Amino acid sequence: MKEEIAISIQDLEIEYRNLTHMSIHQSIRGRKDRKKEDIIHAVNGISFEVKKGEILGIIGKNGSGKSTLLKAVANIFQPDRGRIDTKGNRVSLMAIGVGFNNEITGRENIMTSGMLLGFSPEYAREKMDEIIEFAELGEFIDKPVRTYSSGMYSKLSFAITAVLDTDILLVDEVLSVGDARFKKKSYNKMKELILDSERTVMIVSHSIPTLKELCNRVLWMHDGKIKMLGEPQAVLSEYEAFMSS
Amino acid sequence: MSRFFNDMKKYMYYCRYAAVTNLKAEVANSYLNWIWWILEPLCNMLVYYFVFGNLLGNTRQYYIVFIYSGLLMWNFYNRVVLYSVKAVRSNKGIVTRVYVPKYILLLSNMILNFIKMAISCGVLVVLMIMQHVPVTPRLLYVIPIYAILLLWTFACGTILLHFGVFVDDLTHAVTILMNMLFFLTGIFYDVSTRIEAPFGQILLTINPVALCITSMRKVLLYGENPDFLLLGIWMFISIALCCVGVKTIYKYENSYVKVV
Repeated sequence: MKEEIAISIQDLEIEYRNLTHMSIHQSIRGRKDRKKEDIIHAVNGISFEVKKGEILGIIGKNGSGKSTLLKAVANIFQPDRGRIDTKGNRVSLMAIGVGFNNEITGRENIMTSGMLLGFSPEYAREKMDEIIEFAELGEFIDKPVRTYSSGMYSKLSFAITAVLDTDILLVDEVLSVGDARFKKKSYNKMKELILDSERTVMIVSHSIPTLKELCNRVLWMHDGKIKMLGEPQAVLSEYEAFMSS
Repeated sequence: MSRFFNDMKKYMYYCRYAAVTNLKAEVANSYLNWIWWILEPLCNMLVYYFVFGNLLGNTRQYYIVFIYSGLLMWNFYNRVVLYSVKAVRSNKGIVTRVYVPKYILLLSNMILNFIKMAISCGVLVVLMIMQHVPVTPRLLYVIPIYAILLLWTFACGTILLHFGVFVDDLTHAVTILMNMLFFLTGIFYDVSTRIEAPFGQILLTINPVALCITSMRKVLLYGENPDFLLLGIWMFISIALCCVGVKTIYKYENSYVKVV
């Protein structure tokens, strides 16, 4: 039986051109004064496939393009060249400290997040209690998100993505959320999510033990390119040796 | 084009829900909450009434309703346009986490401001009754006139949303422009009679907001027919510009995230 592919990436390139803000004066004068070396290749021609139900870990030093890759898979960025195919699966990105409207309450943010991820309002409402319970926010759930502490913020963020079922889960360094107890809880929830054979996961992490324990394969990114892709044991020991040299 | 309608269907729930919750959030932090939406245009109207009606002696029939109805339309247009310039930036949290067609943010704000306007319209009805404005069947033309205003607002919004992402000081420029436009739109005077012969008509022809407001007053207050041809032309221009705006957003929206 042929294994189903959930994500396929071909020759992906993403650049950060100097698309910074401009004044009106600058935009009229044109972009002639822009230097060529301002183009940064965050992801530079990578291709790989992820099978359905697989857990792919991504490791690499800061600025090697890991988060950019995840954002591209989540369709937040468009690739400058190459192709990303998520086969019509529902994708959600779990990342620290993003994604809320600060003026509205936690409960309302759960609804809006759910709808933005492509769920029906009924489904979001159904899952509401589970999310609230998991996030452990107590009465703060009905207060505007701007009154939250950073821990509460991350807990809510984690709870939403963890409880709402998406086919592909992209995790960007969120396994260290909240206090020690919540960390353990979220780690266990994470494991539970990941062990579901229907769900495809890509995890970006700097924690070698985590990747060793959870992943089927590990991708090592270096300067926007794939340095190694294969068995966790092999890739991670190479990586460790590289980083300590 | 089909993508636009699919996305509209997909995100309509979000759009409405976000509009209502944002509206609630605005209300939650103030003592007089939704009364402000009535109070604000009402106070503005009183100011204009005393300055232009009493001090400068404007004797236009139903002058209070005349100003108030114009202000409602203008406030809607003004708020949405000013919002659109910074729409992507002020929704940074959402835009950097999940894909959403960016004009949905604009649309949600339009719904929000439309609700505000609808509530203020209640006062308009009361004012009309108090001033004994006769009701004619032409009143129904108000609906297509409002529809054209909505289309034109959406068109302006999508285009400004796009440029607002890249050009930093656009907010200042747009604020000044809107201020100028306010005086050229005839909120407290009648463009066609107050401005000298050719210029009044020219202004009505090239400024769709002035056209909408003047037409709306004609059918609402004075039982006259609006200029259907001109309204029709502007409807087509607006629809065309909406298409251009939505296309531009689709083409560039994924690079917005790299900038904000």
